[in-house]
Amino acid sequence: MLAVSKLNHYYGKAHVLRDLSLDVGTESVGVFGPNGAGKTTLVHAIVGLVRPRTGDITFDGRSLLRMPTYEVIRSGVALVPQERELFPYMSVLANLESGAAYIPAARKGVPEALQASFEMFPILKTRTRQLAGTLSGGEQRMLAIARAMMSSPKLLILDEPSLGLQPSLVTELFHKVRDIGEKSAILMAEQNVRQSLKAVSRGYVIENGAIALQGPSDELLHNDHVRRAYLGL
Amino acid sequence: MRLLRRLRRGQVLLLLVSLGVLVLMMLWKPYALIEGLQRGGLYALIALPMALILGVVGIINLAHGEFMMLGAYFAYWLGVYTGLDPLVAMIPALVAFALLGAATYLLTIRRALKAPELNQLLLTFGVAMVGAEFANLMWTSQPLKPHLSYVYSSMTLGKLRFGAYAFVYTVSAIVLLVLLSLFLRRTRLGRAALAVGQNPRGAKLVGIDINRTYLAIFSLSIALVGAIGAMFLTRNSVFPSAGSPYTMKSFCLIALAGIGNLPSVVWGGFGLGIAEALVLSFRGYGGWADVVFFAVLVAVILGRSYRRQTA
Repeated sequence: MLAVSKLNHYYGKAHVLRDLSLDVGTESVGVFGPNGAGKTTLVHAIVGLVRPRTGDITFDGRSLLRMPTYEVIRSGVALVPQERELFPYMSVLANLESGAAYIPAARKGVPEALQASFEMFPILKTRTRQLAGTLSGGEQRMLAIARAMMSSPKLLILDEPSLGLQPSLVTELFHKVRDIGEKSAILMAEQNVRQSLKAVSRGYVIENGAIALQGPSDELLHNDHVRRAYLGL
Repeated sequence: MRLLRRLRRGQVLLLLVSLGVLVLMMLWKPYALIEGLQRGGLYALIALPMALILGVVGIINLAHGEFMMLGAYFAYWLGVYTGLDPLVAMIPALVAFALLGAATYLLTIRRALKAPELNQLLLTFGVAMVGAEFANLMWTSQPLKPHLSYVYSSMTLGKLRFGAYAFVYTVSAIVLLVLLSLFLRRTRLGRAALAVGQNPRGAKLVGIDINRTYLAIFSLSIALVGAIGAMFLTRNSVFPSAGSPYTMKSFCLIALAGIGNLPSVVWGGFGLGIAEALVLSFRGYGGWADVVFFAVLVAVILGRSYRRQTA
């Protein structure tokens, strides 16, 4: 469904993506790597927030390279950004509705999508009238995921969803991600390899902007490099 | 909840105080009250479209008053050539100024959106000068005003006899406030504008075409202020620098109301209009009226900064 091929990008002289290629079918895929490996640049390139120097990105056979961000989103990709990017002075409900309002395909299904959001994150149902900016960090993360899911995306991209969450919530979060994976394809960038590996079926390890390793989750879990560098074993 | 209740109590207090002031003014200087509501209505009416672009999507437009002035010229010349009343000319003005606004946005504002705000200030200040000098070249600095008999209609209330027509500004300001609030809350474009104003990147990520939203809101604002210019012309003469004081006053009102707060723009407009009229009503002290605007602005901003320190 999503194919990234030979992506190169620079910030000034720093070469941040080096011939990076990966693909996502209908399964859940993880992208792992330390800070500064290029994970965020990669997901920003997919949704058009960053324009890569060379390479190609296609989604359902169409190139995303020249598409403005809103068109990428309307074609069925949703991003839960690291910084959440909610609308702080809108209510939780208005934030959720905004997730579907500008996606022509998702407009009809708003009541069902809201229902599904509240089932996934019951806490949001008790806060519908509260302003999004007054939610706690964890609640904002849930709202960002729920808002992205309101568009019924074919591919959901999550950028470091566990960042800044307390440990008990992290476990819960990856359970939810696994549930979402049954409905849509997932591309998840994460540093917390130990826990997020269980939520995806396949993974890539990025180091210094290039793919260092790839394979099914259980294979990565038993790989010596991964065990030493990311799992501390 | 406790915060909500305290807020309500504060609002009730404010309402009582303003009602008290109104009653006192009605007994003491009824003409100043009437004049103030009419004047304040015009200030609020002109400030609302600026509040829409400054408060909602965050574009600073210093050429706001000049667009109003051009709207007044548009209505004047349309009246001369076709005999159209300025109030009817508001409709063609709406269309013409939507196009003018779109052209201004595409040629100028769009290129300064990502730059620091100072660039927007300089750029729109330049647009203002171009507008004023254009009017000066085309129509000289001679004030122009159509003859309209209906603006002299008057009303009698008890012992008071006063011009009734200028209340059209007061009523229009409230109607425009209601329409804009409905637009922002109920329509997809209005909600997109709020989203873009609060978080442009977040707006892109929910599928909003933010360039189109900026364009639509900017041309809507210019269309409104152009039509308001036609309405302005019914009671005022138009000349090239007729608009610029209103840019400053609109800016002050928005700063006073708090950015993004449309209702307070209208109430603030009434308040400042009444304060100005009160000062004008003392013979020999009329020159102080212009100071009132800025004195109130300074007082409010000082008050706010103290509140922030204690909070």
